[in-house]
Amino acid sequence: MLAQLDSLKTEALAALAAAQDESTLEAVRVNFLGKKGSVTALSQNMREVPADQKKDVGAKLNDVRTAITDGIESKKLALQAALDAKAVEGIDITLPGRPGTGNGALHPLTQIRDLAIRTLRRLGFILAEGPEIETEFHCFDALNTPADHPARNEKDTFYLPDGRLLRTHTSSVQIRTMEAAKSLPIRIIAPGAAYRRDEIDATHLSVFNQLEGLYVSNDVSLADLKGTLEAFFREIFGPNTAVRFRPHFFPFTEPSFEIDVKLEAKGKDARWIEIAGCGMVDPAVFTAVNQSRGDNLFDPETTTGFAFGLGLDRLAMILHSITDIRHLIENDVRFLQQFAA
Amino acid sequence: MQVSLSWLSTHLDLSSYSVAQLSDLLTFAGVEVEGIVERGVTTDKVVVAQIDSFVQHPNADKLSVCQVNDGSGTPRQIVCGAKNFKAGDKVPLALPGAVLPGGFTIKEGKLRDVASLGMMCSGKELGLGDDHAGLLILSPDSPIGTPFNQLNPADVLFDLEITPNRPDLLSHLGLARELSALTGIPLKGQRDYTKTSTPTKLETSNLKLETPSACPLYTARLIKGVKVGPSPEWLRRRLESIGLRPINSIVDITNFVMMEMGQSLHCFDLDKLNGSIVVRNASEGEQMLALDGQTYTLQADDLVIADQKRAVAIAGVMGGEETGVTEATTSILLEAAYFTPSNIRRTSRRLGLSSDSSYRFERGIDPQQVAGGSELATKLILEIAGGTADDVLLVAGETPVLTSEITLDDDRARKLLGTPDLSSDEIRSILTKLGLTHQNGRWTVPSYRADLQRPVDLIEEIARVIGLDRVPSKMTAVAVPSDATDRAYDFAMTIRQALVNRGCFEAQTLRLIADAQLPDTLGGGTGVAVKNPLSEDHTTLRPSIIPGLIATAALNIRQGTDRLRFFELGRVFLKLPNGNSREEERLAILISGPVSPSSWHARTPQAADIHELMGIITNLPGLSRVSIEPKAVKESPANFLLTSELRAGNRNLGWIAQLHPSRARDISARHPVYVAELLLSALRQGSTGPAKFEELPRFPGMTRDVAMEVPADLPHAKVAAFFASQKEPLFIASEVFDVFTDPTGQKIAKDRKSIAWTLTYRSPEKTLETAEVDAAHTSILSALEKSLPATVRR
Repeated sequence: MLAQLDSLKTEALAALAAAQDESTLEAVRVNFLGKKGSVTALSQNMREVPADQKKDVGAKLNDVRTAITDGIESKKLALQAALDAKAVEGIDITLPGRPGTGNGALHPLTQIRDLAIRTLRRLGFILAEGPEIETEFHCFDALNTPADHPARNEKDTFYLPDGRLLRTHTSSVQIRTMEAAKSLPIRIIAPGAAYRRDEIDATHLSVFNQLEGLYVSNDVSLADLKGTLEAFFREIFGPNTAVRFRPHFFPFTEPSFEIDVKLEAKGKDARWIEIAGCGMVDPAVFTAVNQSRGDNLFDPETTTGFAFGLGLDRLAMILHSITDIRHLIENDVRFLQQFAA
Repeated sequence: MQVSLSWLSTHLDLSSYSVAQLSDLLTFAGVEVEGIVERGVTTDKVVVAQIDSFVQHPNADKLSVCQVNDGSGTPRQIVCGAKNFKAGDKVPLALPGAVLPGGFTIKEGKLRDVASLGMMCSGKELGLGDDHAGLLILSPDSPIGTPFNQLNPADVLFDLEITPNRPDLLSHLGLARELSALTGIPLKGQRDYTKTSTPTKLETSNLKLETPSACPLYTARLIKGVKVGPSPEWLRRRLESIGLRPINSIVDITNFVMMEMGQSLHCFDLDKLNGSIVVRNASEGEQMLALDGQTYTLQADDLVIADQKRAVAIAGVMGGEETGVTEATTSILLEAAYFTPSNIRRTSRRLGLSSDSSYRFERGIDPQQVAGGSELATKLILEIAGGTADDVLLVAGETPVLTSEITLDDDRARKLLGTPDLSSDEIRSILTKLGLTHQNGRWTVPSYRADLQRPVDLIEEIARVIGLDRVPSKMTAVAVPSDATDRAYDFAMTIRQALVNRGCFEAQTLRLIADAQLPDTLGGGTGVAVKNPLSEDHTTLRPSIIPGLIATAALNIRQGTDRLRFFELGRVFLKLPNGNSREEERLAILISGPVSPSSWHARTPQAADIHELMGIITNLPGLSRVSIEPKAVKESPANFLLTSELRAGNRNLGWIAQLHPSRARDISARHPVYVAELLLSALRQGSTGPAKFEELPRFPGMTRDVAMEVPADLPHAKVAAFFASQKEPLFIASEVFDVFTDPTGQKIAKDRKSIAWTLTYRSPEKTLETAEVDAAHTSILSALEKSLPATVRR
């Protein structure tokens, strides 16, 4: 009996080894362990086994059963593994991925503007806006620009037949915001388009993009302006960027400064690049706003503020080494693709 | 403005400053240095030499062999290629060892076998101007052997941008005064020219001022017996050094005085004047031939200088040709005046005529220096052109006082500057250095600083002098509540990102478009025309973004791009019937060509159709819970087909259309082009507020498909509307899953189409029995056949 069991075990394991699919495995199970299987048949003869051998035979029977069951199970896993391996055979993972609709790209100006906005929002500025078709009051008068200032003539500024104009800077949003304000402080940034009557060439557009900033409260100082704008430009150009403020003149700020940042150009020494204008809001601007509002919320004796403005097109050109500003309005997809995320 | 360092140095000793240091000093004083040019030579090895004789070079047609006298006593042989000299001319000679500008070293050598012991120089070779026509011929009285830099010292030219608030810096004296204040180096020599020369009697006379508001002060001095000729070397050199062309001694002197002290002058030929001078407004249409040879037609608000017959100068802008000083002039009337800036600016701008003179008057000159300018010019005229000056200075009007006393609260200055440590002593010292005087708590401003009117103007001066390095960097954190503009911006960025993820490229096109682009407008509306466009390509503020996107498509098609997926977010401008205008933010999309980039998966993917564009739109942020109904517009604009308004309930979201094939052919499109323009504010309405959670269904639903035949022109929306209106409580959703037509008419009649829908049934209370679903489905189908021209296939 023991010998019979050994030979059944050998026979079963050979059959398992030869099995190539799951149905053969099932047949092996039925042949040996099924109700009429050969191992089952032998086990039914247990009662005829002499008592002193029962223990050994019983153990052997169990051993054979386990060996066959385990063999079937592991063969099953092996077959499945082979099938799974076969399923990925021939797949070349080095091929390019399926593109779907592909990805587009944000316009570089949008990206720069968003970077500037995110940075300034972290510094506590909120967004503001105003019309691009403006009155002379909002674009010039209220910004302390004399009636015969050169910027106001028809050679430099687009006018509408009704006397309104296309704003020459986003600074008009300063006035709009202060006119509508209910209380201080004001801490806004206003990205937007501005217009100047310039022929379009490699460095000029007649419609361009600016970002204006204004902070007005009762204790704003030049130190706030300096700290805020240094922080801003270091976020944009890197934490070690040198920033300098040169005295300048703008009608609507006093004192006024131009801001340079020191940037390395490829293969050249680092150079100071003019990047923005800024200054402390001129009291005459507060006076004009008060007159327009009909109150004294912006008391020129106690209210102070700083304002700044920068050209986003120029910023994009500097950051991306774009040599011709017209790329920004042509929207050649080969250009736009270079700015994909 | 061009400024000469050697000229500046006549006013103060700047030798302890390098050019770079001076440049920084000016920059941080608010004067932008736009260029620096170093001129002339510093070496002693360029000397004055005289060409004694010359002969043709034996081996070269274009060269001469010259014998020159360099003052050493030994004649020197030089081979020279220039032709513009004759024997006896004096020229600069670079001796061997001399280093010329650009680092070029002169050596002894042979030219075509003939020895040449140095080089005779052109102006350009010495860093003097661009004239390369030949040798620089020196004045005959130049002493032979003298180092050239003694006669013509090396100089540095600064090209400065003077801001409009600082007219006092538009002269060498003015800049010297500023540099003296900044460096502490004292000014030397004459500062106040009113105390110069000839005895002066101020006298109101037969000069007549009709318009004291435009010309508060006018002075004239008569000088007789002058001899007009070329200016002396020093004067010509001064003018040439800053790029002015010498004309004759009188004109040169007036130019010199202007560049020296900022007072613009004019000289009339006294013999050509008819009677006494009147300063008056022009008569309407009055004409005058100016010194530039042009005839100008004047208006009543233009100020002129006139004699008893006619206008002889456009005041402050340009003199008249007929009364100008020429070589034949013997008597002159020297004008020095103060003209009101706004008048000069208006006239200059209107005539398109600008001069060094108008540039200064329109910014504002120092009224206290008017007489001084006249004095200095008189002195120089007498020295250079001879003659006798009247000892009477004719004066009309009064010296205007443009400055007033200012009270400065030092605390306010400290607060505005953010410099609590700035002492009052330091403030006083800064302002005093700048020429202000302090008395009884008030500051008196010098006459040349009329830009200083208010306390804040003084604070600006302090900031300028101490520089921003002195100011600490401070950061103030302020919490300001965000508002609708912030939310609109965030929403727009979400839209942009969604479209980028869908494969679209963001364009930014110019808001000013051409009239010819207006037919590409989608959504109606008229743009706003500009009164003074720069060119016919940019005449109108766009009423729609689509014209810009079509131009973008055209450009990219020209570059060979087949697959167009563009969008733009931006403002459009709509003219309103009442003449006003409205500005509105919109989103425009343009698609054409393959739905996906070509790849090994699909070499030529199918081309976009209008359903792809509709799919892009329905997947936009803000529209996920909005059902969009396209409604064909009655008259599609000529450049479009299929134009439909996109509606959500009674709200207009925008428009969708196919670009008309004929317009698409215009731009050489290889595939149909589809466009849409949406109102950003309408999209945003669908995305307000946080979404509300709805309990998930606890019991499974069951579906039943229905296939039906309907007329080919029955819109999908009609069927969808039918299902949406069903009140059967178990029926909860429907979706179209097939649309079939057969243009050949074989499988289904040409005027019919087969559509198939899946209907879903579910109860919130229990798992439905088949019979319950069947009953509900049957009732829906019978209602369907009653309501729509549909035959259900059973």
